[in-house]
Amino acid sequence: MAPSIDYHCPCLASSPAPPPPHLPSSSYSFHPLHELFFCEECDAVRCNRCVSVEVSGYYCPNCLFEVPSASVRAEKNRCARNCFMCPNCRNTLSVVPSDPPDMDDGRGSTAALNAVGEPPFFLYCNHCRWDSAEVDITFEKPTGLAAQLQKHEDSAPDSLEFERLKEHFEPFLRASSSSALAGPTPASHSHHAHVNPITAAASSALARDIPGVAKYAPHPRGRRDKGPRDEMSEYRSRVEVGGTSAMGEADVDFMRRIEEESEVAAVEQRWANSWATSLRTSDLKPLRIPLHSKKSKRCPTCRHILIKPEQKAQSVRFKIKLVAANYLPSMTVALPRPLDIVRRGARPPADDPSGTPGLHAGSTYPFQIALTNPLYDPIQVRLSVQRQIPPAVSAAAAAAATEGGATEKSRRPPFAVSLPSSAFPIAAFAEAWEYEDDEDMFGVDGDEFGLESRDGRETQGKAKSKTVGVLEKRANVTIVGGEVVIGKDARGEVKFNMLVSYTYRSDDALPEDEVRGTPSRTSKAPEMKTFSFSTAVNLGPVVPREENRMDTD
Amino acid sequence: MPPIRDKFTIHSKAVVCQDVELKGDITIGSGTIVHPKATIFAIAGPIVIGAGCIIEESAIIVNRRKEVMRIGDDNLFEIQCRVESPSVGNCNTVSTRARVHHTVRISSYCVIGAGCLVVPAEDEVLDEFTVVYGPEAARRAWSGRGKVQEADLRRKHAEYLRETLPKFNRVRRGDGHG
Ligand SMILES: [Zn+2]
Ligand SMILES: [Zn+2]
Ligand SMILES: [Zn+2]
Ligand SMILES: [Zn+2]
Repeated sequence: MAPSIDYHCPCLASSPAPPPPHLPSSSYSFHPLHELFFCEECDAVRCNRCVSVEVSGYYCPNCLFEVPSASVRAEKNRCARNCFMCPNCRNTLSVVPSDPPDMDDGRGSTAALNAVGEPPFFLYCNHCRWDSAEVDITFEKPTGLAAQLQKHEDSAPDSLEFERLKEHFEPFLRASSSSALAGPTPASHSHHAHVNPITAAASSALARDIPGVAKYAPHPRGRRDKGPRDEMSEYRSRVEVGGTSAMGEADVDFMRRIEEESEVAAVEQRWANSWATSLRTSDLKPLRIPLHSKKSKRCPTCRHILIKPEQKAQSVRFKIKLVAANYLPSMTVALPRPLDIVRRGARPPADDPSGTPGLHAGSTYPFQIALTNPLYDPIQVRLSVQRQIPPAVSAAAAAAATEGGATEKSRRPPFAVSLPSSAFPIAAFAEAWEYEDDEDMFGVDGDEFGLESRDGRETQGKAKSKTVGVLEKRANVTIVGGEVVIGKDARGEVKFNMLVSYTYRSDDALPEDEVRGTPSRTSKAPEMKTFSFSTAVNLGPVVPREENRMDTD
Repeated sequence: MPPIRDKFTIHSKAVVCQDVELKGDITIGSGTIVHPKATIFAIAGPIVIGAGCIIEESAIIVNRRKEVMRIGDDNLFEIQCRVESPSVGNCNTVSTRARVHHTVRISSYCVIGAGCLVVPAEDEVLDEFTVVYGPEAARRAWSGRGKVQEADLRRKHAEYLRETLPKFNRVRRGDGHG
């Protein structure tokens, strides 16, 4: 796997410190940059886990018809026009007429194929050649097919049961919505609030005895429901489910007798159905195409919209689009191929015949981080390795993590990371044509930046080439080098948290002047702002020592 | 192996573009269309193609066997497919980038889906109305409903090409009757 950098979203957590990246659960907190949003109001990163989502419109992905929400409900979230999906291969189906009768030899006369076509009509898959006549679904007219199919869907036992349930809950829903209107707006949803009728109804339904299922015994916490639970009549289902139903036995029987696996419908062929369906391939029915929705997303704190698509189904644009990629520098990390910076003992060249990626325990590797500035103003960036404890105090100084992780907890792969310690600039983003003039600016030597780091850091190995510091600057991209020293007993993946702080010229600043050019290492000028975010850098798995030639040092 | 002797017999009503690679003993029947950049290689035995077939750009038809490779009528070989079957019946479709090995004989009304590989180690005959489709080259039997309409469409397709292709491409004439 290629090395990667993911960005942290604190998701309204109280502590801004990111979780240690080697914990599996941390993967929920780190995201690729392109999935993140940025709230200008809160000056914070937002991710898909913490934003609130609302549907801004439904449409059919096949005919791109925008379906009004009232119809969405009535039509059960599927397209009510002539859009159908092949139950066998999920291609779209077309409506075709029957072949003219009495023409057994399809290559005979070309005569009588009239334009309208012969009834009965059926749905036909151009890809796998499934057709609905195989399951006895044909139509007298080539129109209004969806309504006919929906009638069939709606007569499914599960559908009828669902309708009945809805009917049963209807009064409670109505009561709850009216009481919600009357009461104060529940801005903070407290769990101790008065039991909502829907919840009460649901919990009473769930508390019912189900044969074969152990009864759920809630803790005797002594709290009495004062909700309208008592007002609710018990729901009686149409069909008694549970136990061994006839359906279940028929399925078992069918499964016992199958001769070919193709007789059984695959899960992919069944799960686009709204309701439970038969296991048999021969029972697969054409499906109305499920609708898609366009969604807007809001900041969970200030409720401002972060992203809002254009209403039209054909459009792939957005009316509002506050994505993090437009605010934070994007970063990619790479391990340069030639592994010439090897520390202890020369690595046997036979070790990497094909240049297979691998970080060998007991070696030192340079890595490069390319940062791209999306802003129209230059920025100053500072990188630092974050330990388990938020390095708030040493943000500026922390150039390296623990050296030789023996002191760290054993679960953490012992490795040490060096990053350029001082701030470095990234030029402003400009439209492509603007770059043509600064051709000679390219490849500016980064010697004035970030070299302090090497003084203390690079004691051993007597750097043949610069590895830690600014390596390259061109346009709005700056490439910096870092170094990782992998302990002899390291295993697992080389993952670490990196804090990125960048200083930019704030929009609400006064005139722009010359302040921007100077590194804002000293106290920030009033119009400069600093934004910090955490990332998880994954350099890849460590090849443990045992797999290497045993070379001692 | 003796050097391949070229012998092309092209029906006067066939349309074979100039920019086509032909090698060996090849017979092309009435009304058959061979698009530019198609390749027909009769390496060992001859290849006989029937009437009303359409062979699209970059399609490759190869006969590696000594026996005659017979391709029937009204078959469609789509762009970049490769067919080495010793025999092909009528009204088949070999879709874009599909590959059919020389171990497979194709009967009639078969469809080899786009990108499907049909390369069994053992000799095999595809039954009539076999459909091979999808990434796993799954197979199923087509009911045959719609075959008349499809044949009609194929004929119109060929008819259109017979009119249009010669307007924009140099057309090759057979050695025999021209
Ligand atoms: Zn979040
Ligand atoms: Zn539709
Ligand atoms: Zn299909
Ligand atoms: Zn906000």
